Amino acid sequence: MIEFDNATRTFARKVAVDGLTLSVPPGELFALLGPNGAGKTTTIKMLTGLLRPTSGAVKVCGIDLTADVRRATHALGYVPEEPFLYDKLSGREFLEFAAEMRGLERATVKERIQRENGYFELGDFLDDLTETYSHGMKQRIVFASAMLHDPPVLVIDEPMVGLDPRSVRMVKDRLRERAAAGTIIFMSTHTLAIAEEIAHRIGIMDHGRLHFLGTVAQLQRELASSHTRLEPLFLELTSGNNGRPHKETERRLQVEN
Amino acid sequence: MHPLVSQSPPRDFLPPQEEARAFGKARNRILRTLLRQTFARSRFRVTLIVVLTSLLWGVMFWMFADGFWFLKTTITQPDTHALAVGGVFSAFFFALMLMLVFSSGIILYGSLFRSREIAFLLTIPARTGRVFLHKFQEAIVLSSWGFVLLGSPILLAYGVVSVAPWYYYAMLVPFIVSFVYIPVSIGAIICLFVVRRFPDNRTGVLAGGFLLLAVGGIWTVWELMTGPSNDLLTLSWIQEILGRLRFTDQRLLPSWWLSAGLLDAAAGAWAESILFFTLMISNALFFRQLALWRAGKTYRAAYSGLYGKTVRRKRFRPMRFDRLLYRLLSPLGPAMRLIIVKDVRIFRRDPLQWSQFLIFTGFLVVYFILVPYFTYGVSSTSWVNMVSFLNLAVVGLLLSTFTTRFVYPMISLEGRRFWVLGMLGVSRRTILWSKFFFAAGGAIVPCTLLVLISDLKLEVSWLIVVSHQLTCVVLCLGLAGIAVGFGAWLPNFRADSPSRIAAGFGGTLTLVVSTLYILIVVLLTALPTHFFTAADLTNFGWDIDTQTGLRWWLGFWLAAGAAASLVLSAVATLAPLWIGFRTFQHTEF
Repeated sequence: MIEFDNATRTFARKVAVDGLTLSVPPGELFALLGPNGAGKTTTIKMLTGLLRPTSGAVKVCGIDLTADVRRATHALGYVPEEPFLYDKLSGREFLEFAAEMRGLERATVKERIQRENGYFELGDFLDDLTETYSHGMKQRIVFASAMLHDPPVLVIDEPMVGLDPRSVRMVKDRLRERAAAGTIIFMSTHTLAIAEEIAHRIGIMDHGRLHFLGTVAQLQRELASSHTRLEPLFLELTSGNNGRPHKETERRLQVEN
Repeated sequence: MHPLVSQSPPRDFLPPQEEARAFGKARNRILRTLLRQTFARSRFRVTLIVVLTSLLWGVMFWMFADGFWFLKTTITQPDTHALAVGGVFSAFFFALMLMLVFSSGIILYGSLFRSREIAFLLTIPARTGRVFLHKFQEAIVLSSWGFVLLGSPILLAYGVVSVAPWYYYAMLVPFIVSFVYIPVSIGAIICLFVVRRFPDNRTGVLAGGFLLLAVGGIWTVWELMTGPSNDLLTLSWIQEILGRLRFTDQRLLPSWWLSAGLLDAAAGAWAESILFFTLMISNALFFRQLALWRAGKTYRAAYSGLYGKTVRRKRFRPMRFDRLLYRLLSPLGPAMRLIIVKDVRIFRRDPLQWSQFLIFTGFLVVYFILVPYFTYGVSSTSWVNMVSFLNLAVVGLLLSTFTTRFVYPMISLEGRRFWVLGMLGVSRRTILWSKFFFAAGGAIVPCTLLVLISDLKLEVSWLIVVSHQLTCVVLCLGLAGIAVGFGAWLPNFRADSPSRIAAGFGGTLTLVVSTLYILIVVLLTALPTHFFTAADLTNFGWDIDTQTGLRWWLGFWLAAGAAASLVLSAVATLAPLWIGFRTFQHTEF
């Protein structure tokens, strides 16, 4: 379970995330959407322990990220928007390092790398230095490294940036498969079509606040819109709201919490 | 639920030793690849670095050995000699210690808070202390390397001159390593404290510390250079100088333990030396643990706090200076003017570029102001002229490092965003000329000013002043031509960091050619001017007034040297630009 309990993060005078309260249960594929500067990246950074909430709490599998960040990150796999790899290591060496840090046995490491190689088709470049990789190759290696230890929570910031259509397919299939196996997948994206296609629930943030939480069908009902696609609904919700959540959403969130 | 996925958090972490081993393994792999690549791809650069470093090391060793011989022959009384050498060691290691505290603090700030690697390491379940130690160890290696380069010549020279026993040499490395741990740990603690407590004002705190250090350094140099009333390089003069440096001789300073421990080893007192070594190593471990403890307590909070303060949007508006510059550059045509003004804006808004230039220029200004006091009453024309030409060469060398570091990579960096200029229909020739005018114009003003300050403080003749100003201008043009031309001839479109581009083959070649060019131009003008204006030529047994033939020849040499330096400068400016134009015209992006 991922839990944001009235989590607020301020940057000097600016409130980047304002009292976020949200729970994501096991097996759910959750997509966090919002315009630029909405607070998505700050939310992701709080969830991965890089930033601490100014007030409130963020928990992963019941562990408070501020109180015990190490145990919490043990339960996470994280795919950042800008993948970091050591230039002078090969993809395999990087995966070995990531797996060893998660405490996997040597034999298991080998087997898991083989497994992820199968999913993400890393074979052609796995033993090349990562400095020679394209963005898409790097992204696939980072996806593989985040899944090596079968984490109960997978956090992904912009999952499809720089991936070719075949890789996008691979990633989508793998995410669906992981969610079906009980992994919580928390992703932040601007690609509304991806969110619409694979997410069980979406959250829409703007000005640091959660404006909507639910399914696309719920969003359509709450906006009383004739549109059925996410894109026009998203634009409708995020234009001219003056930073206030949608009334119906606000009421529903209060009831849920 | 899938059998592989459990919603309960994992309970077992990697044991500390295995965690350290995993980090060590990754680091060794990176190092091996780096070394293999460096020796396979950058032989020229490695050879150059090894040759130049050896040369520098050799000169330092010779200088220190000569100094220790001088002390040995000047101060024959053993106790006084030991005190004098102890004073030299203490002052030297004290200065190094301060530099290490400051530099390690800056290095650790970059690696602990600014690197992308850290954002990755903090999201895996590594111990915070391990992540800190990983970067701390890198800082130790970087700092030790500098220490070995600067400290080993003085220590080996002393060993050779004082005929030290074998264990003096054996203890050098353990002593140096344990010593380095102390200032690096202190630098780390200060870095963590500043980021944790002053995330908003860390630049101000850094600037304050730097200013304090600079003022302290200038005050010390001033005290040493302005006061001694005794005759230069006599026993009493040495004693007076050491007396002024007594503040570095405090028994509680690690630099003093290092100095005393090594001097004892050199004198054959191995038991005392080991005593100082154990004192040093226990303090090194204590400070390391203290830094590790502070990191465990504050590092993550400091990291989180820092990123809570840095999201600030700066609004930049066109400055009057830009508009003025645009008008001043009107003869160059609109396209070239726009590119130059754009480059000036980028330069102005990148503090990394101008702050380095400003710091080194500041140091040179201070040195030029103080330089007359270094002469200790030796004020013959030949000495003053020699110093003035050396100062000119120093300004040129400083400029060459900046043209290599910042101007040479400009074309490579432009290549990555070539679509901007490419789509504007600007000719490639215009782009290169604009880079040249930007570099040359930006260099001429500060460099001629620096040389003028040096000449005025040294009170050289107006002939020399004019000659230096002309030489300085042609140096700026030549260095800009070399950097821009080579930048277009040997671009590197793969790298996106200017420092990486400058560190490659093209950058190294630019630096070498620039250095050779400066040395040749300065020698061509300095030597004849020196002989022509030297009032004390009679020291050589010549009489310039009576031997008109000699005077004519010296005048001819002066004119020929000036003409040759002008021709060389024209070649150095135009030839690289011509090569660069030809290559750039056909470069595909």
